[in-house]
Amino acid sequence: MSWLRFFRREERDAESVRDLQFYLDTETEDNIARGMSPEEARASAWRKLGNTSAIREEIYLMSTFAFVETIWKDLLYALRTMRKNPAFAATAILTLALGIGGNTVLFTVIRAVLLKPLEYGDPDRLVYLTLDNPKLNLKGKSFSLLRLDETRATVQSFSGVGAFLKNPESVTISGGGDPESLQQARVSANFLEVLGVQPLRGRGFLAEEDTPGGAPAAMISADFWRRRFGGDPQVVGTPVTLDSTPHTVIGVLPSGFAFPFAGVDVWVTKPSHWSGLPARFWSGSTPLNLYARLKPHVSLEQARAEMDVLQRQYARAHPERVDSKPGVSVLVTWLKEQVVANVGPMLWMLFGAVGFVLLIACANVASLLLARGSSRSREFALRSALGAARGRLIGQLLAESLALAAAGGILGVLLASWSLRAIPHIDALHLPRSGEIHLDLVVLGFTVALSIATGVLFGLFPSLQVSRPDLVDVLRESGTGAGRESSGRRGRLGFSLRSLLVVGQVALSLVLLIGAGLLMKSFVRLNSVDPGFHPTNVLTMKIALSPSRYDTDRKKAAFFGELARRAEAVPGVRSATIALSLPTTTSLNTNVGVEGQPPVEPVDQPIAQLQSITPGYFRTLGISLLRGREFHEADNSPGAPPVMIVNESFARRFWPNFPDGRNPVGQHVGEGLDKLKSAEIVGIVADVREAGLASAAGLEFYVPCVLHAPQVAYLAIRSEGDPLRFAGAIRSQVLAIDRDQSVADIKSMQDVLETTVGQRRLTMLLLAAFAGVAVLLALIGIYSVIAYQVAQRTHEVGIRRALGAESGDILRLVLGQGLMLALIGVAVGVLGAFALGRLVEGLLFQVKASDPGTFGVIAVLFLAVALLASLIPAQRAARIDPMSALRQ
Amino acid sequence: MARILKPDGDMLQGTLDMLVLQTLVLGPAHGHFIAHAIERRSDDILQVEHGSLYPALYRLEDRGWIASSWGASENNRKARYYRLTPAGRKRLAVETTRWERLVSGIGRILRPATE
Repeated sequence: MSWLRFFRREERDAESVRDLQFYLDTETEDNIARGMSPEEARASAWRKLGNTSAIREEIYLMSTFAFVETIWKDLLYALRTMRKNPAFAATAILTLALGIGGNTVLFTVIRAVLLKPLEYGDPDRLVYLTLDNPKLNLKGKSFSLLRLDETRATVQSFSGVGAFLKNPESVTISGGGDPESLQQARVSANFLEVLGVQPLRGRGFLAEEDTPGGAPAAMISADFWRRRFGGDPQVVGTPVTLDSTPHTVIGVLPSGFAFPFAGVDVWVTKPSHWSGLPARFWSGSTPLNLYARLKPHVSLEQARAEMDVLQRQYARAHPERVDSKPGVSVLVTWLKEQVVANVGPMLWMLFGAVGFVLLIACANVASLLLARGSSRSREFALRSALGAARGRLIGQLLAESLALAAAGGILGVLLASWSLRAIPHIDALHLPRSGEIHLDLVVLGFTVALSIATGVLFGLFPSLQVSRPDLVDVLRESGTGAGRESSGRRGRLGFSLRSLLVVGQVALSLVLLIGAGLLMKSFVRLNSVDPGFHPTNVLTMKIALSPSRYDTDRKKAAFFGELARRAEAVPGVRSATIALSLPTTTSLNTNVGVEGQPPVEPVDQPIAQLQSITPGYFRTLGISLLRGREFHEADNSPGAPPVMIVNESFARRFWPNFPDGRNPVGQHVGEGLDKLKSAEIVGIVADVREAGLASAAGLEFYVPCVLHAPQVAYLAIRSEGDPLRFAGAIRSQVLAIDRDQSVADIKSMQDVLETTVGQRRLTMLLLAAFAGVAVLLALIGIYSVIAYQVAQRTHEVGIRRALGAESGDILRLVLGQGLMLALIGVAVGVLGAFALGRLVEGLLFQVKASDPGTFGVIAVLFLAVALLASLIPAQRAARIDPMSALRQ
Repeated sequence: MARILKPDGDMLQGTLDMLVLQTLVLGPAHGHFIAHAIERRSDDILQVEHGSLYPALYRLEDRGWIASSWGASENNRKARYYRLTPAGRKRLAVETTRWERLVSGIGRILRPATE
């Protein structure tokens, strides 16, 4: 078909009119010559010629694009076929939409989060540094301030080393509007330089702002700038108060900037001011995470080698440091890997799962098409005998599958765009770079390609098979009229291909099911872990005291002591406490030694977490006291003799025979961090999983608040009934003591814990949902194959019955076939799950990827439901009346 | 048994094409003549609905198997004359062979006893 003809189609239409007119004239003349009246002659000529407008139209359409016309016709035909069987079409489209939609979502997320380069300058040169020590309990694997300074002074591999405080802080901003709680990050002054990012407005931090006494400066996110300042171009220079400390806004960061954490709205410098610690502890704490930019031509390996050398030098120079112990090393990884480390395995695993779901969906639709194809084989044989090209038949069948796939794809994209809007708001995912997730042309291209591939995949096998009819076989069948029997070779082939598809479906869905089972078991294990405290009915909030107004331990301790007393007095509050940290929040670690035990070098002393609390802590959190006593009010008053309470792990570490042997209560402990005089152990409490349910408890000791008055602390209350109802009352108690004091992070303890298991829960639920869909599809597959087979073999069953087979025999025969398919599929699936086990290994908790219990239970369960799925057609077969079956 | 074949989709297309090409072997002809020739030469067994012929003619022309030009007819009207091209001649040979093979195949199946 040439373009020329397309543009000349009007002319050609006129020609065809003249051509037809000639026919009519000539035929009329001939008819008159045969003796008809003129009217009769013309009418007869019209009759003979037929519908001229239809003929004109047909000729006209030839001049439009032939392939468009063909596809259009095929599509119309496909749509008619769908309309005739709406249940089939709806099932197929919905199945495909789920599969294609799921793949689109995961592709979009993986592309934005894992594949695209970070949106920083020359992002492939950015590395991330962590401390690694498999033996020691170095939480956060972070660095000390000293280490930052020494690294910066000596390192050759990096052109810049940036640092940030490892946890975001919650701060209250006031000034320029109502007070508001925000996430704040503390970063080194050079943090933007190292990343290669320019501020949207204003400037970055100056080096002198990162020194003690430097002017307090803050940068804000573009989002916050628009939200609170209405995008005011004059925002630079505006004074704001962050947690009672005045700061000046010096710059606005670009939209979507999410370093070092997502959801941060304000950045301040002076990371050394880890607000939880008085200045005298800075040297001993390791609050910093480091990242750096490799110099040009320096490889990752060279940087690693240099950091190894520096670590050895550091350890020799500062043997007393916790990060100087043998076995500690500095890991250098690509920053991008670090950013996505928490979600990479989860995302790939889910992508694999939706891929499986789509394959299963394809197999299902292919199987349905095959079944329909066999019943249409005569139609195709006849058309092929009368001159239809094979390509044309394949084309038509493919058009049908592509129409299904396209409908599924469109619906899938709608589903995907809807879920992609929701995904960045699902906090439980902890998804980094979530601001970069959107549907764009690349994603749409992926979806179009996927839909076409899907359509071809599930359409090609059936159409190749159906369009290659054995002419002789099919025509012979029509000659004898025995159309219902399976037709020789092709029929057997059709059945075996469908069986193969079912086996594949069973295997794939079993893999998913086992994966979901493993995650579920992990989750149950995780939830049955005793956190060491009772999180129900506990309200928590963060209180950061202004360093200028609360500048002495005495003032801080007085405020917190008063607050604990007032909170406890609120009606409905059973107990209240102040603590330096709460489970899953920050932690402060130090080396400890027991007096009277053989002395060891500080570097060899065990590390324990320090907790500073008011007396109600154990009661409020529900931590059981194993021995001795809790703190009294007297312990928390200035000048009281120093006392401490240790946890069970602590006791076992120093008194391995605990609870037998020498009683730790009454012993004295020195802690390295504070170099404080010894404190007497007055009680022993149960272990608490401070770092979340998945991490085992380490050594921990508690001291009264007065010994270690924090600048930033948490208030926790145990209430009667819903703890969140007390937020207002507690807040007003805070204001009653100091009307300028803000509170932040008001959460129930259960919500705090939930953030540590939320991602697991969601991953598990998603995989379980995928597995559920997959299993459903596989069962439909088994059912339809068995049902089809029963329908095909009605005659045979009739003969068997007539020859004396009982209905039980028939039942067993059919069930056996269903079971055989399921067994092969399950066997393949178990092997597959075994092989793919390492993909989920990192997501499991106290469950092995090859957990025999999970494998066994799921395989047996699956076989049982597969048996049920074939029971329905089996019963139908067993009820076949031999006489009527034979008469058919 | 006379049966009116309607040009429904692909069913007739191949067959009708072959008949048209065969008719033009004898020389150029216009649509009216071709329609009557096919009807007559099949002893009226194949009654082609004459209109269906025209799309076939245009299609064959598009494929280059026949060519057309306007000329004066025997009754002195302007008529569109169709003639076979060399490509059309080749095509006819292919179609004829295929058809004969099919017919003999079907014949063997339908009358196996007589063989």
